[in-house]
Amino acid sequence: MTEVVGAIGVPHTPAFPVMVENGAPLAGELRQLYGELAARLDRLRPDVLIYFTSDHYNTFFESSLPIFAIGVAESASGPADYTELAQYTVPIASGLAQRLQDQLVRRGFDIGKSQEFQVDHPITIPLHFLRPAMDIPIVPVFINAFVRPLPTAARCLALGRAIGEALRGDDEFARAVAVATGSFSLEVGGPRMNDTSHIGVPDPDWVARILELLRSADAERLVAEATEERIEGAGNAGGEILDWIAMLGALGARAPDYLEVQWDFGHAYAAWS
Amino acid sequence: MSIYAVNKLCYRVVHDPALREALERDPGSALRSFEPPLSEAQVTAVIGGDVGALSKMGADHFLLHQLARFHLFGLDFGSYAERIRAARAPVS
Repeated sequence: MTEVVGAIGVPHTPAFPVMVENGAPLAGELRQLYGELAARLDRLRPDVLIYFTSDHYNTFFESSLPIFAIGVAESASGPADYTELAQYTVPIASGLAQRLQDQLVRRGFDIGKSQEFQVDHPITIPLHFLRPAMDIPIVPVFINAFVRPLPTAARCLALGRAIGEALRGDDEFARAVAVATGSFSLEVGGPRMNDTSHIGVPDPDWVARILELLRSADAERLVAEATEERIEGAGNAGGEILDWIAMLGALGARAPDYLEVQWDFGHAYAAWS
Repeated sequence: MSIYAVNKLCYRVVHDPALREALERDPGSALRSFEPPLSEAQVTAVIGGDVGALSKMGADHFLLHQLARFHLFGLDFGSYAERIRAARAPVS
């Protein structure tokens, strides 16, 4: 039986590694936030990470686009979209990934799989800070959060729950940690950018509401409120909340014991242990 | 011709250094030999760094901003943001 013993919610802003290396004004805060998550992840002693992520037009493209997919290769390298950043080879729990894809299809989830792919910054940036040794295999679960139409929040919660169930029927690993990465409200390169950069946070109220619902462990309410309209209003990367919702499905109804927000980026750092 | 060609161009810009070099060296030729083909209006907008026009044509903004990230067609994040805002501002 593989138990989901905890979860981590983590941002993946591509500028963060360089900001930390160069001692930018935000460097200390970033070290502290990622450091806290790294320590908590370490204490959870995971054998495998179930990594809910959204490809940013790198692993997949509109030429062929799965709504849900699992990466089942032995390993994957990247970030393919930021070759100037530290490059990593991320180990993948290939056997488990294959079995999960198989189990999910049998349970009614039409989830694709990829045998050969590169990873992008939403996978490598968090791991760069949390586990640069890359010594814990991951199962990458890709949820389409960018190309409309997006999957519904209810479907993502159900997907996470089905993954949790399938894990409980698998014997390869004992301890899994679910990871979700992404912002709650973020516009990249679109008309809702702020006045000083190419990003913006169009709906800070939605960020505050998500924090509230995470604290109250109310995934059902979050799903009810994460409507297509609300996600659309949250920016062109607002769909990344779907990764968090799927993660909550795999984890079960629990409140986080660590939750910190960075309002300027519309994202949060969270841990469930 | 759909906006897919412009989106594909932006995607390839991220992943293909040789294409980036070709676009810097001879943008007209690189764009007119691109597959899938861009319309002449799309070629003109791309060469002019007219991301506002491309935005109005329906280009994906997440992909479009990659042109500014790689400083193609005279763009940087400042000019990019200015042009997108100007193009998408509500008409009073």
